[in-house]
Amino acid sequence: MYQVEASKALLKPRLWARGSARLRVPRNVIMLGAVSLLTDVSAEMVATVLPMYLVFSLGASPLVFGAIDGTYRGAAALVQVASGFTSDRWRRHKEVAGIGYGLSALGKVALVAAGNTVGGVGAIVAVDRVGKGIRTAPRDALISLSSAKDKLATSFGVHRAMDSVGAMLGPLIAFGILFLAPARFDAVFVVSTLFAVLGLAVLVLNVEGKPRRAPREGTPPRLGAALSLLRDRSFAPLLLAAAGLSVASVSDAMIYVGLQRTIDFEPAVFPLLYVMTAISFMGLAIPVGQLADRIGKVPVLLAGQALLFVVYGVLLTTSVGLLVLIVCLVALGGYFAATEGVLTALAGALLPEDLQASGIGILITVVSLGRLVSSVAFGALWFAIGLHTAVLIFAAALALAIAVAAPLLLRAQGAALDG
Amino acid sequence: MDSRGGKITVALIVVCVLVGGGYVAYAALGPGETSTDASPSAAASSSDVAVMVRAVDPANPALNGGVFVVEDGKVRRRSEDLACERVYYAAGHGICMGVAASGVDYTASVFDDELRPQHSIRLTGLPSRARVSADGRYGAMTVFVSGDAYLSTPTAFSTRTYLLDMKSGETIGQLEQFDVSKDGARFDSVDFNFWGITFDPGDSDRFYATLGTGDHHYLVEGSVGGREVRVLRDGVECPSLSPDGKRIAFKSRIEGTNRWRLHVLDLATLGDHPVAEERSIDDQAEWLDADTLVYSNGINVYAVAADGDGEPALLIRDATSPVAMGN
Repeated sequence: MYQVEASKALLKPRLWARGSARLRVPRNVIMLGAVSLLTDVSAEMVATVLPMYLVFSLGASPLVFGAIDGTYRGAAALVQVASGFTSDRWRRHKEVAGIGYGLSALGKVALVAAGNTVGGVGAIVAVDRVGKGIRTAPRDALISLSSAKDKLATSFGVHRAMDSVGAMLGPLIAFGILFLAPARFDAVFVVSTLFAVLGLAVLVLNVEGKPRRAPREGTPPRLGAALSLLRDRSFAPLLLAAAGLSVASVSDAMIYVGLQRTIDFEPAVFPLLYVMTAISFMGLAIPVGQLADRIGKVPVLLAGQALLFVVYGVLLTTSVGLLVLIVCLVALGGYFAATEGVLTALAGALLPEDLQASGIGILITVVSLGRLVSSVAFGALWFAIGLHTAVLIFAAALALAIAVAAPLLLRAQGAALDG
Repeated sequence: MDSRGGKITVALIVVCVLVGGGYVAYAALGPGETSTDASPSAAASSSDVAVMVRAVDPANPALNGGVFVVEDGKVRRRSEDLACERVYYAAGHGICMGVAASGVDYTASVFDDELRPQHSIRLTGLPSRARVSADGRYGAMTVFVSGDAYLSTPTAFSTRTYLLDMKSGETIGQLEQFDVSKDGARFDSVDFNFWGITFDPGDSDRFYATLGTGDHHYLVEGSVGGREVRVLRDGVECPSLSPDGKRIAFKSRIEGTNRWRLHVLDLATLGDHPVAEERSIDDQAEWLDADTLVYSNGINVYAVAADGDGEPALLIRDATSPVAMGN
């Protein structure tokens, strides 16, 4: 079976060839990457112009934008676990993901048709985020089920890199349209809708819903089976390690606020911080994924976590030159590249085939709860004892979390190999 | 299935490129909405102090932004070059915060007494507040920033407040980087937001502003040269110093809402009283003279007595961002 698949893979286009590490990624992963790229272009186009649109075309106060932005981020969180389990239960990952992508596309259509009130925009944004919550777990399960277990990290790296290309292109396309046709937000929304529809079309027409590792026989899993993942001897240690690492990691938003306080920026330079981090992530996601498949996901994940120490070090210094700042942002991009995708790949390797989306949904939720706890705790520490001491405490907590996570992750991996 | 799906996808891409490209071309080449710009009009109760305002058209916000000077119930001057979301002016130097000519970015212009732009400064967010010290030396701008609100709460927002040298048009500081003290001790938190600077008319180095953190909105007093601020009291947003430097008009939040009443605070006692305006006002008020405040509800400019007596009076229709040109 594997031989056949591998020789078929040889016929696929090579994106990357270097020494013995050839990038052979299943067609399904490339197609899912294309779906995410197109959908992210669509989403980021709207996200980029929405504040200007609300204030300048609808005459809203910027405070209203703050409220809508909050809805934007908050609405997605809770549906992930439910959609993950449902797609495992029905064995219809592609269809459930399709509902999520479809909701977001419908939201863009609604923006063109009825986005001329502030309340309407708020509702549309909420629908869009629910769509994102629905699609994430089944989409990641499809990536996992499309890949051989020893190529999972590469597959997730390719997908995440393509995804971030979309997130970079979206604002550029939106600005390009507004440059050609000033204040014509309708043109931005129309083009955004077309990208969303194309993304959905690539999913429907080109993504295989029952990829190589997808379960075809036996009874569909029950809710009890999904819940028992919390006690599973390989998945439970993974969840515990992921929770610890996410609580001990200062969130990216906090890092940017900290850098802004530490370094005397020209105000106009600030947006470049995000761009440089994104470029670093985009460039590193694929090679780091390949490395994880070659030398092991656990060491790469832990090394990626350790890159945060570089960032913490910069937050603790008082004067930062341009070179140090670039090193810091490259490290931050490397940290993102070596953690989220590799962690999902590790989960994909450990989870039974019939519970992939459920497990990934649980993992995403645990990590985002961990990040919330981290943000609240870091904010409270900053308030109580100052930025420097807060960073020192988080550095100590991260060292502890890595020391605890290492044996847990190795045990998780070992248990999966035994099983 | 693969090849058929692929062919349909390619056909769809072609259709999308044609439809999208066509729509953008149509939007770019179509007639722009360059009809008549919005224009303010003076109301019955006029003031003999000249007032600079930003024109708004409630029916079409795309036409907002022209800068006008209204005096004795008549439009005296209008700018040919400025389109602002927020405007301020003092002693021959003005700030106009608006959308850049490209239409895709925010920018501020420093302009002169002929209302001609002299310098431009890139802004990193939506324009919110602008002030110039009475001697025209320093300027201050507040913008709303999206993208780095650090917690996903529905009220999360982020501001930045910059100080300018009005002669050179250079940014000389950002309040977020100033040292903050409260009750004599160092005070710091990740969610610090500053907005709404007002300068001391007698000493432009001294200023007041709002520091938001958690549920608190502190009145802070600061020094441009000392790069420091200290907390005076809670519950004061968008302060505005009176011409004699002894009172501060501000917006007082109705607890737990995004609604405000205008109040006036006595700096000697830090006590305050509401003015007669009973609607919610989200504006940094301006002192028309020693006894009168002017402010906008986003549509018109009103005047009200600072001592709490009387009734608010409509001063200028279709205008916001009032600036008293008398003091």
